[in-house]
Amino acid sequence: MILSRKDNFSLFALLFPFFALWAFFWVVPLFFSADLALQNASFHPDHRVILETQSEGQSGLEIDWFAQKSADFKAKPSVQYVGLENFYRVIGDAKFYKAMKNTAIYTFGSIFIILPLALLLSLSLFQLSRIPRGILVFCLMIPGLALPGVLSTLFYLFFHGRTGALNQYFVIPFGFRPINWMMDPLFIMPSLIIQSVWRWTGLVTLFFLCGLEAIPRWQFEALKMEGASFFLKLKTVFLPSLWNLALFAMVFLVVDGFASFSGAYNLLGGSGGIMDAGLLFVTYVYQVAFPGGSGRFDFPGATAMSLIVVPLTAFTLFLILQCRKIMIRE
Amino acid sequence: MRKWLVRIFISGVVLFSLYPFVWMFLSSFKTNREIYMPTQLFPKNFDGHAYYDLLSDQYISFISYFTNSMVISGLQAFFATLVTAMAAFVFAKYNFRFQSLLFGVAILVILIPKQTIAVPLFDWMLLLGLQGSRWSMVLPGIASGLGIVFFTQSFKQIPNELIELAKVEGFSLFRTFLLIIPLFVPALLTYGLLHFILSWQEHLIPLLLLDDENITLPIALAKLRDSSHRIPEAVGMAAATISFIPIVVLFGFFFRKMKTALVDLSLS
Repeated sequence: MILSRKDNFSLFALLFPFFALWAFFWVVPLFFSADLALQNASFHPDHRVILETQSEGQSGLEIDWFAQKSADFKAKPSVQYVGLENFYRVIGDAKFYKAMKNTAIYTFGSIFIILPLALLLSLSLFQLSRIPRGILVFCLMIPGLALPGVLSTLFYLFFHGRTGALNQYFVIPFGFRPINWMMDPLFIMPSLIIQSVWRWTGLVTLFFLCGLEAIPRWQFEALKMEGASFFLKLKTVFLPSLWNLALFAMVFLVVDGFASFSGAYNLLGGSGGIMDAGLLFVTYVYQVAFPGGSGRFDFPGATAMSLIVVPLTAFTLFLILQCRKIMIRE
Repeated sequence: MRKWLVRIFISGVVLFSLYPFVWMFLSSFKTNREIYMPTQLFPKNFDGHAYYDLLSDQYISFISYFTNSMVISGLQAFFATLVTAMAAFVFAKYNFRFQSLLFGVAILVILIPKQTIAVPLFDWMLLLGLQGSRWSMVLPGIASGLGIVFFTQSFKQIPNELIELAKVEGFSLFRTFLLIIPLFVPALLTYGLLHFILSWQEHLIPLLLLDDENITLPIALAKLRDSSHRIPEAVGMAAATISFIPIVVLFGFFFRKMKTALVDLSLS
């Protein structure tokens, strides 16, 4: 629908709130991060020092505004720029690559398990009648509704050493030695992935189920008359109707995987686990920015790290969305 | 035969996903000793001791943290739904200059996980003087790219005749928006709920931005767990159970509406 000139005002009014907030809380921090990443890491502007003392002293909001404004005014000339040094530091950092590799394994590992499992589940659930189907999907989704920290707590207790339920029910009865899930570097990543699968499979199943329910009835009847095999049905009816939702789920999972913090943070107590086997990207950024106890906040380093990763995630997601366009054209 | 295989498969998965939560609820009545034996499902005796300790602020001021979470997630979900629905309505139904550019730019927001700009956001909030307050959590969460995608897809189903009719009647865009919005209650509720859940679960940003008295549940729960196991595990379990209830209730209440909205979405 083409708009006339007199609509300009209400057009503006409808779009303005979103874009104002967008500019203020996304674009500005991004520019901020570009600026911050160029600064000297071991040099601290005064206003950050003020914050540290304040958070110990529990003073409220009232003082903050003025104190920080003036502190910032004073701090301005004391900022040191070091060019791209922070970026070089990150690129030379072996731990950064480790974290990136772990995050990639975590994200794509969970996607490759979640999507097929959810497809299988939704096809199974689709054969049930309406009411039990709804109830069961709801049950499956419950882990996704809980706080990730709670999931980790539960998980911690389940994986806990020899006495954990997983060892008691699944490992020992089959005659294997009990696995020390949280301590053995080999098993930290699988347990993080299992956690993610447990958490998101239900939601993706719901997506798929809704996609299946949207398929018009006549298509099933036509297939029945043809006497089509299961795989033919899968190829001609089920998968095409699910592509859109699968890609949406993938985007969601990639974003969540790259951004996941809470699960690993709780499970491993903020560290990367033994030999950093469970060190995820955001956990590492947090470790660099707020090293516990030492008080040396390396904000510029952490920001440089984020800035290197932002285009990578953006590119991954762009590729996934490109897939979607190709699918639609076909 | 195949029917039974399917049933066994489903019940196996359902059991696997529910069992830990049943265990969590029952554990809130257990002693530490009982909790560290995960094969023991039922506690010896049910007394609500842990709940009493938790709600009487024995360890942390749980009720105020709970309120914080409610207020922050509620406000964020409400404003996000409103603001993104408004923008998406225009994107879905009208053509104007720079439309595709603006849309692309709005969507770009999804491509950058918020956690990756957490540190500069912290710095920016510090400069604004918002750092520590609840608003520092609410405001950045409102502009959501996911909401724009969701609502643009939903609003594409509005018949063009309706929009044209509104134009003939001389309605402004804003009035047209108010006219169609009651038709999209399921979609609005679905997105609102999703956003509520996502912000309810948010951990890193509140950890960075909020003052000690304004922290939300995920951080409060983490607090309950560390401090060298001084606090009985049952209290943590009780806190987990309570923090879980509002989401499940909300979700159970609107589940039907949500499914309607998702089926509509997959058609477009």
